[in-house]
Amino acid sequence: MTAPPPTRAPVRASLPAHAPAKAASPRTSWWMRRQRAVAPYLFISPFYLLYGLFLLVPILVGLYLSCTEWAGLGTPKWVGLRNYQDLLGDHSFWTAVSNTGLYVVFTMAVVMPAALLIAQALNARGLRGRDLFRLAYFMPVVISPIVITLVFGLFFDNEFGLLNAVGHAVFGFGGIDWLGSPGWARVTVVILVLWRWTGYLTIFFLAGLQNVPKELYEAADIDGAGPISRFRNVTLPCLRPVTAFVAVTVLVSSVQIFEEPYLLTQGGPGESTLSVAQFIFRAGFQRQQLGYAAAAGVLLFVAVFALGQLAMRVLGVGRDDR
Amino acid sequence: MRDLSRRRLLRAASGAGLGLLAAPALAACGTSAAAPVRSGRAQISLWTHDPDYIKTFRSAIKDVGLMRGSRFDFGLDITSSAPADIMTRMIAQAVADGNTPDLAGLNFDQFPRVMQSSIAENLFVDLTDTVRPLGDDLLKLSPYSVDGVPYGLESGNAITVLYYRQDLFDTYNVPETLETWEEFLEHGARLSADHKVSVGMISTGDNGSIVNGFLQFLLQRGGGFFNTAGELILDSPEALEVLEFMTRGVRSGALMALPDPYGSACAAALKSGRLAATAMPNWYNAAGLQANVPEQRGRWRIRTLPRFAGGGHIASTMGGTAFAVLKDKPNSEAGLELLRRVYLSREGQVLRYRFGGYLPTLAPLYDDPELVASKDEYLGGQQAFEIYSAAAADLPLFYQAASMQILSDVLGGQILDALKGRTSPTAALNAGLKAYRQQVTR
Repeated sequence: MTAPPPTRAPVRASLPAHAPAKAASPRTSWWMRRQRAVAPYLFISPFYLLYGLFLLVPILVGLYLSCTEWAGLGTPKWVGLRNYQDLLGDHSFWTAVSNTGLYVVFTMAVVMPAALLIAQALNARGLRGRDLFRLAYFMPVVISPIVITLVFGLFFDNEFGLLNAVGHAVFGFGGIDWLGSPGWARVTVVILVLWRWTGYLTIFFLAGLQNVPKELYEAADIDGAGPISRFRNVTLPCLRPVTAFVAVTVLVSSVQIFEEPYLLTQGGPGESTLSVAQFIFRAGFQRQQLGYAAAAGVLLFVAVFALGQLAMRVLGVGRDDR
Repeated sequence: MRDLSRRRLLRAASGAGLGLLAAPALAACGTSAAAPVRSGRAQISLWTHDPDYIKTFRSAIKDVGLMRGSRFDFGLDITSSAPADIMTRMIAQAVADGNTPDLAGLNFDQFPRVMQSSIAENLFVDLTDTVRPLGDDLLKLSPYSVDGVPYGLESGNAITVLYYRQDLFDTYNVPETLETWEEFLEHGARLSADHKVSVGMISTGDNGSIVNGFLQFLLQRGGGFFNTAGELILDSPEALEVLEFMTRGVRSGALMALPDPYGSACAAALKSGRLAATAMPNWYNAAGLQANVPEQRGRWRIRTLPRFAGGGHIASTMGGTAFAVLKDKPNSEAGLELLRRVYLSREGQVLRYRFGGYLPTLAPLYDDPELVASKDEYLGGQQAFEIYSAAAADLPLFYQAASMQILSDVLGGQILDALKGRTSPTAALNAGLKAYRQQVTR
């Protein structure tokens, strides 16, 4: 018989004084010996169980499905990498990639700076009705997609649309086929993105601006800095953490853009506004090509992960040395 | 009571938590096999997207005459959802061996999703024996058949007729009895040039709307997308003729380009009186006209479609929803019995017409005195069945295939390009066919 492990004595000691002294069964003694080592893992196990069940398992199943041909019922047929090969030769997929790229570039290059400028304006000293402006800019995020579809459909309609009517009345020109022309349909989608998300991002920048120490502005004033110089040398550096966070989240979410083109044009005319997320939805839930959709999903996942990592490294998210 | 230490409390709580987690997990691993319901109470789970079907089935199970002699006492558990979601969730539930409905309403453009990989065969009850006694009297089975086996019963015989504003036709001297589309377009071009009024609409919104509008005219002309075997037959002179007709109509202004036949732009066109006529199925009366322009009650009339000079039919069809019975479920037999009573009996069809305006799918009912005598107040008291009866007798057949959605995706943009003058009808159809073949052979 080996000597009891050193952990046993403190465990015994922690028992209540009135606990009856029982002869330890082999099972109990194993548990008594191990419980201090096992207990922490048991406590954190719910997280890992859920993480595995709801994150790892779907990813692994998605990877497996991407190498199969499956319509949703019955047994998936293993096709190896054929779905990936088909995707690379699929004109629709590349159209979707190109459109998504356009949406990402627009969001990063126009929506984010617009949000920053609006936040700067809302942060101006002595601005009256600040809360009203904030509410107005935030409103598009909480409006029902159904309402957006109806209202924007009427705004941009070629025959009866408000924009064309106003354009015709004011400028004598209003014949833009906003939703029927491939080029203008893309413009319409990015207008919707701008309208919908600028106000939301403004809130983040506004929170960041309110944390910029006033002393820095006072010091800049003393140094004779003008508004542009103050913005460039004080505001932007102080907003760096917020900007990095917003840039990464906007990048990751705009690569997965779905709602805006789906609501406004359903990817049309033709496929001219189709995004990659819509392409996946179409393959999976309209054509029942679940293996093909999974392969596109895997590629999207890889793209999002790589871009997210790249952006985090470039922008120094989570690092204190910047 | 003994003292409850913190340790015991934590152990008890964690045990209870694990039990709670394990219960659904174990339940999910089990099979849901239960004895089939042969008689008595049958609580039917019904999924549909349309409130009118809910009203119809609820009324049907309370209708003593309709349920006379049934060995089932029906109850309904209704789930209402969008057409695409019904199909997606039903397939997902079937994969998970979960709670599929007993009766499912399948929109016609969702049905192609189950036409591949034997999904329909594995999910739905084969209705061959159910419909056999009715023979050719039962209409519109073809869109919901796979390899000749029917899996769904159409709710209404969606017959496309010409809706027109009688008052505007009078005002603008457009004869109500024009024989051909070609004559009709001539008057339309004149009205468009003189009064900015169109005599038809063409959908230019999403691919589905565009392609359905094209298909409606194509079926009337005698063409189609697929034959009975599911082979593509789009490469035809009829398809080219129809696309040229549509393109000509849009360019002259006779046909108005609108995103879809229901949305805000269409409502504006109807309200402003700029749309004086349109070819749409019977359900457009309630879903399009009465919904958007109730104030125009009494001004609209219907007639059979003008013919194409080259031939074809005096009617067409677009849309529809079939109900299918899920197989190998405790309520499969009861579901089939309910569907048979509501969808394949005279009483059921009359009830459906009264509640939702669904036209009968039983051919003899187009001569039914009660239905023929009925008047449509929105259509100025017109006896609509006189028109529907003539149209039903010359209704084209419509077949679907598993690749219908692919065709819709690749053809929509090409048709739109032709309508907008960005390409020729010939080039548009050729490009669509080429893209379809590439994607289908993948």
